[in-house]
Amino acid sequence: MNKSDTSISVRDALAHFKIPVFIGLVGMGGFVLGYLVQVEFYSDISPVQPIAFSHRIHVSQNEIPCMYCHAHADKTPSAGVPSVSKCMGCHKVIATDSPEIQKLYEYWKKQEPIPWIKVHDVPDFVHFTHKRHIKAGLECQQCHGPVETMDRVTRVSSLKMPWCVDCHTERQVENGRDCWTCHK
Amino acid sequence: MIKINRRDFLKYIGAGGVGAGAGFLYGKSTQKTVELLIPQVLAPEEYSPGIATWYNTICRQCGAGCGISVRVREGRAKKIEGNPLHPVNQGRLCAMGQAGLNALYNPDRIRRPLKRNGDRGSNNFTAISWDEALTTLGVRLGNLKIQHESNSVYLLTNGVRGHLDKLFATFMDELGSGNYLHYDFTYPSTLYEANRISFQQENLPYYDIKNTNFLLSFGADYLGTWISPVHFSLAYGHLRQGVKNKRGKCVQIEPRMSLTGANANEWIACRPGTEGLLAMAMANVIISDGSYRGPDLEAWETAAKPYSPSTVSQQSGIAEVVIARLAREFVKQQPSLAIAGGTAATGTNAVESLVAINALNYLGGNIGKPGGLIFNPQPVLPNLCRQRQASYSQMLGLIAAMSDKKVDTLLLHNTNPVFTLPPAAKFAEALSQVPFITSLSSFMDETTAMADLILPTHTYLEDWGDDSPEPGIGFPIASISQPVVKPVYDTRSTGDIILGLAHQIGGELPAVLPWTRTLDYLKDSWKKIYQEKSPGESITTDFEKFWQAALISGVWGEDKKRTVQTDYQANETQIRDIHVTQPEFAGTESDFPFVFLPYLTQTFNDGRGANLPWLQELPDPMTSIVYSSWVELNPVTARQMGIREGDVLEVQSPAGIIRAPAFIFQAIRPDVVAMPIGQGHTQYGRYAKDRGVNPIQILAPEVDNRCGALAVASTRVKITKTGKRVKIIKTDGVTRTLGRQILDDGSTHT
Repeated sequence: MNKSDTSISVRDALAHFKIPVFIGLVGMGGFVLGYLVQVEFYSDISPVQPIAFSHRIHVSQNEIPCMYCHAHADKTPSAGVPSVSKCMGCHKVIATDSPEIQKLYEYWKKQEPIPWIKVHDVPDFVHFTHKRHIKAGLECQQCHGPVETMDRVTRVSSLKMPWCVDCHTERQVENGRDCWTCHK
Repeated sequence: MIKINRRDFLKYIGAGGVGAGAGFLYGKSTQKTVELLIPQVLAPEEYSPGIATWYNTICRQCGAGCGISVRVREGRAKKIEGNPLHPVNQGRLCAMGQAGLNALYNPDRIRRPLKRNGDRGSNNFTAISWDEALTTLGVRLGNLKIQHESNSVYLLTNGVRGHLDKLFATFMDELGSGNYLHYDFTYPSTLYEANRISFQQENLPYYDIKNTNFLLSFGADYLGTWISPVHFSLAYGHLRQGVKNKRGKCVQIEPRMSLTGANANEWIACRPGTEGLLAMAMANVIISDGSYRGPDLEAWETAAKPYSPSTVSQQSGIAEVVIARLAREFVKQQPSLAIAGGTAATGTNAVESLVAINALNYLGGNIGKPGGLIFNPQPVLPNLCRQRQASYSQMLGLIAAMSDKKVDTLLLHNTNPVFTLPPAAKFAEALSQVPFITSLSSFMDETTAMADLILPTHTYLEDWGDDSPEPGIGFPIASISQPVVKPVYDTRSTGDIILGLAHQIGGELPAVLPWTRTLDYLKDSWKKIYQEKSPGESITTDFEKFWQAALISGVWGEDKKRTVQTDYQANETQIRDIHVTQPEFAGTESDFPFVFLPYLTQTFNDGRGANLPWLQELPDPMTSIVYSSWVELNPVTARQMGIREGDVLEVQSPAGIIRAPAFIFQAIRPDVVAMPIGQGHTQYGRYAKDRGVNPIQILAPEVDNRCGALAVASTRVKITKTGKRVKIIKTDGVTRTLGRQILDDGSTHT
């Protein structure tokens, strides 16, 4: 037998797998890309809203306090999202030619609510109330992050149970670790 | 430079695409589903989102008149509870009251005015505008008025009270028609008549169950359906546990054990219709014992003489010793109280029986005493329900008028005689002779489905109104009911419809009824009451304060004590007139061996609750059955006839046949079969329709021999097996007591 006939070249053997490996790599690259697209443009952490409302412009530039729009935060379980008429209260005269404000006018003309996408949400079996947390002296930013710097609101806290319990423990909340405090 | 051939290129594209898709989906799978945050378009001023407001108003699910507090959030009614300030129910509420939300948000509510568009009863209606609806009816009534034929206009409503009742009456009077009737299947006509005969009282007395020591109930299911069950349940609680070291005794005499019977110390199963005879036999024992020391002893002796315990024992199936023991306990355990309802109040001898039971209270010295029977003061609001309440005989009069074509226009309001009258009355047939039928109703019940014009009304949670509970609770109270939510559909307040018609008809009507809104009418009427009660106070400022306070608290009572008659003296002729005849039944005992007992339930009342899903799914407290109809049979009877639970039976009376599955029930006499009332609707929405059967369908038209009320418990039936078998839906396991001796078989009493 000829020696060369029995020699095995690793390169040659691998060459056989080259194309499938590249295809696999492209696939993985696609996977990462798809994931990033999802997270960037369809994320629940920072969802794209029907109107590109900027908290930065409203809060940092124009110094509108949180409670001006989220008026129920210290009174009720939900902070309250401003009614369309409240938006119109200012935007009848302010920034009337901005394309985003034009979208607002469309909703107002049809007398339809703006279908905002929830960024901060806890499951229905959690009894969360804003009122108590504000009464306890928390700043909005402690949970919601620096909203005043965000053009598009991004969730910075997990809103998962360990995150809640950590804070309750640290601040020594009365009955803060009791199941019935939140699950009732 | 890498050379890529066409095949590989396609592979790369494919892999990249699938990878990107998978990556996207993976990213998505780690996230929560998108929830929207929908703002309001216009911010309402009257509430903050998330904060509940409680509005006090009145429950109208039955005639008891309980006060309710409705929890409202974001303009929606979420929960109904009892109003703690209301003296009738004191913060408690029954299942029917709780299910009021099902009525308000019922998907089968009539949502807009409808005009009939096909044959009557074919359910073919066209939606029309309110203007068209009111004009159609207004022009018709106006023409009849001009032609002086207003007497052919009839108004039939359920047992409405307060100022709505007065509005109906004024409207009909001004129209020139005296034909205004109430028809309420559950109205205790016989009890009213008996109290008029015994005590010359137009209103029911207050039965002070709370403070009594010995409660002898002849068939009155005071924990379930009798008059004001929530109030009496509270009273029962006090009777049992309210005073330390004292536990009142309850005895229940009825052929079929009700919820009340199950809670009593003793359940005594007498023959149906012999309750009055038993009361007289007890009276006989009391008098012959010499326990009665009041006046007219001779007259009482004569009256009670024919009812010796031995005779009555034969008639009622209750042992002599039991009768004597109960009579002695009744006198000894002061204060004691005898009450009556159920079979005692629905036989052919009902009024006589109830008079006899009143006599028993008189002999026991329970009249006008705490823990006895206390007369009520005159109610605050106009109350003429009793005169207007049509007995079965009066309904036959109306039916005759309809058949004779004397009725041109029939106005119906919230009443359903097609369902609650036995077919022998031929109400449905008579309806077809009426040229024009208008129904004011929230739901498409059997009677409304026959109408030519349907005017949908608000439910009680959307409407204004007022009420004074009847029977009263010993002192005068009234409540104003207010809307707790905005109308859900394009419906109108009943009062608004009547006022609108008044303006449409014209003539002198708008002058007498100048208001256009129920609220204005109600407020002006209350101003009159206010001026009467507190003369000298400013009607502008003080009345407004009073009105607000009455709305907020949901009830208004008088602080001044009214002088109420506390004592009562029977006269001799009255005593001599006390006479209880034997109960009569339709059908002979040989052909129809069982007495048929349709009974009211805590959930459906007379059938009006059947369209509320919460009530449909609520198990019956005695049998645990849900959703359907059943026939209750004693195990002895069942064994003799070889019937097992679930066997479909044919129940035949002289008046008709119905089919329902058998349920073996220990707590019923072997010679009686019972069926719950309420199911068997052919209309009335998706939850009620085509479910179970209506036992009223086979009732013979027997009436009380004194007041003409329908004698519901006076029909005999026979039962036969059809051979079919169904599984009864119930939450209970077996009906046997498994040797635990929870129930005895009744043999100790017979």
